[in-house]
Amino acid sequence: MIRHLLHISHVSKHFGGNVAVSDVSFSVDEKQVFGLIGPNGAGKSTLFNCITGFFPASSGEVIFDNKKINALRPDEVCRLGMVRTWQRVKPLGSLTVLENVMIGAFSITSVTREAEAIARENLHAVGLMDYAGKLAGLLPIGLKKKLELARVLATHPKMLLLDEICGGLNPTETDIILEIIRGIRQKGATIVFIEHDMKAVTSICDRIVVLNSGEKLAEGTPEEITNNPDVIAAYLGGGHNA
Amino acid sequence: MKQFALIAMLAVIAAALPLFIGENPYITGIMISVLMMAALSSAWNILGGYAGQYSFGHAAYFGAGAYTTMILITLYNLNPIFCMAAGIVVACIIALITGSIVFRLRGHYFALASIAVAEIVRLSVLNFEFTGGAQGILLSDLSLWGLDLNSKNPFYYGMLLVLVVTLTITAWLRKSKTGFYLQAIREDQDAAASLGINISFYKNRALLISAALTSVLGSLYGLYIRFIDTSAVLDLRLSIEIILTAIIGGVGTLWGPVVGALLLVPLAEVLRSNLLGDALVKARLVSETSGMGLFLKENLAHAHVLVYGIITVLCILYLPKGIFGLFRRVK
Repeated sequence: MIRHLLHISHVSKHFGGNVAVSDVSFSVDEKQVFGLIGPNGAGKSTLFNCITGFFPASSGEVIFDNKKINALRPDEVCRLGMVRTWQRVKPLGSLTVLENVMIGAFSITSVTREAEAIARENLHAVGLMDYAGKLAGLLPIGLKKKLELARVLATHPKMLLLDEICGGLNPTETDIILEIIRGIRQKGATIVFIEHDMKAVTSICDRIVVLNSGEKLAEGTPEEITNNPDVIAAYLGGGHNA
Repeated sequence: MKQFALIAMLAVIAAALPLFIGENPYITGIMISVLMMAALSSAWNILGGYAGQYSFGHAAYFGAGAYTTMILITLYNLNPIFCMAAGIVVACIIALITGSIVFRLRGHYFALASIAVAEIVRLSVLNFEFTGGAQGILLSDLSLWGLDLNSKNPFYYGMLLVLVVTLTITAWLRKSKTGFYLQAIREDQDAAASLGINISFYKNRALLISAALTSVLGSLYGLYIRFIDTSAVLDLRLSIEIILTAIIGGVGTLWGPVVGALLLVPLAEVLRSNLLGDALVKARLVSETSGMGLFLKENLAHAHVLVYGIITVLCILYLPKGIFGLFRRVK
């Protein structure tokens, strides 16, 4: 049976007079790969921050796994099984790659040896095993993105929110990351995916929501979205905000 | 495991030292100061070095231990162990109040608030009657519960015990969930929160451990000196010395604070007792009766904080990871 794992209903976020997200609603089914796309400043990352508790939504409801999570702190959201990565990667710079991933693993175990085993497993899954002993701050960007992935995977999440995980990567690196994400999906996690790169999104997502200027512009399958004239206008210009 | 073995080995060596030195109160006194500053700085390091929360008010916890112990002993003649436990409770209450309010905020607010809290404690103690006000508290009994306060050795071993406990806790923390979480908070609070770390809970935990250890040292210090007042145990200068010892030795390392104390305490002693001024005069570099000689005699003894400052600036410029960081780089 398919059920909604994440349900967002009429979520808005204001910063003073600025409306960053306005009345956005959608649902993500279990085991879906869900794309959240839109031009710069569309409110994608703000919406992630509202969902994961970094900025509470000004109004609306966020329901995860049948629980209302609007008022929860980020760490509580993580322990419920929803974890995010960051558009600007946040490695714990003076810790090693292995230790970074162990910190993710500590959310499901308190035993250091077990955390280390989980961490190694996930470093292996993203192909970072050779860098386990290196300082995380010294990795190049492509590997830092992989580290972000390994770290959130180590929390054994039900749902992953990936904020431009392919941003700043070259096509080869992007393909590697997409391959890892396909692997994660096969293991049964649900993924919400913010991305600029239309090709990456359409190749991997089951369903897509397009945001523009904080509002939901369209929702549908990748084909429906790529053929939607409003979306084309928002992306290619020709509209009022070119 | 290696670190625990090293702590045990050095503890045994330190425990044997008084046997070789014999009854030399001056040297024993300096060694007690070294152990105390090493322990204070190590306790501060749990919060400042691992969790990255710089407290500029650790004197408040030191003073809480010292005052609680001295008041309970002079008024009620309670067992010193019980007094220390009471000191821990008082220090933890101060820590909990500070932490629960200030750790909700990001950035440098904790550093600022820690100064404010320490000043509130200092001024309160200075103005209350039961704390002896500006007169301080003098302990006139020379024996307490079978403890001979004239002998320095019990305090040497007391300080050593607290140092060993502090280092053991630190070494254990580094291998445990709590220690990893503290370091994650130091590195990036948003990343830490997104990975399931309850930031204010773990900061408070680090603060409580640190404050409790600092308070025990304050209790021991009070009994050791047998006199306390606000300028001795609650002064901002003490808080700063604790931080400088950690920074110069190596913040966020197990042995940095110990290295810092081994270097700075004897150095301060040399400056305070004006050994440097005397040496300059003896070497005939300056004449004792000249203006310069008088100046050195009058002022150099008070300059040890200035020298700390200069060393700190040099450390920040050339050894950002402290002296202990240098050892590790050479290896």
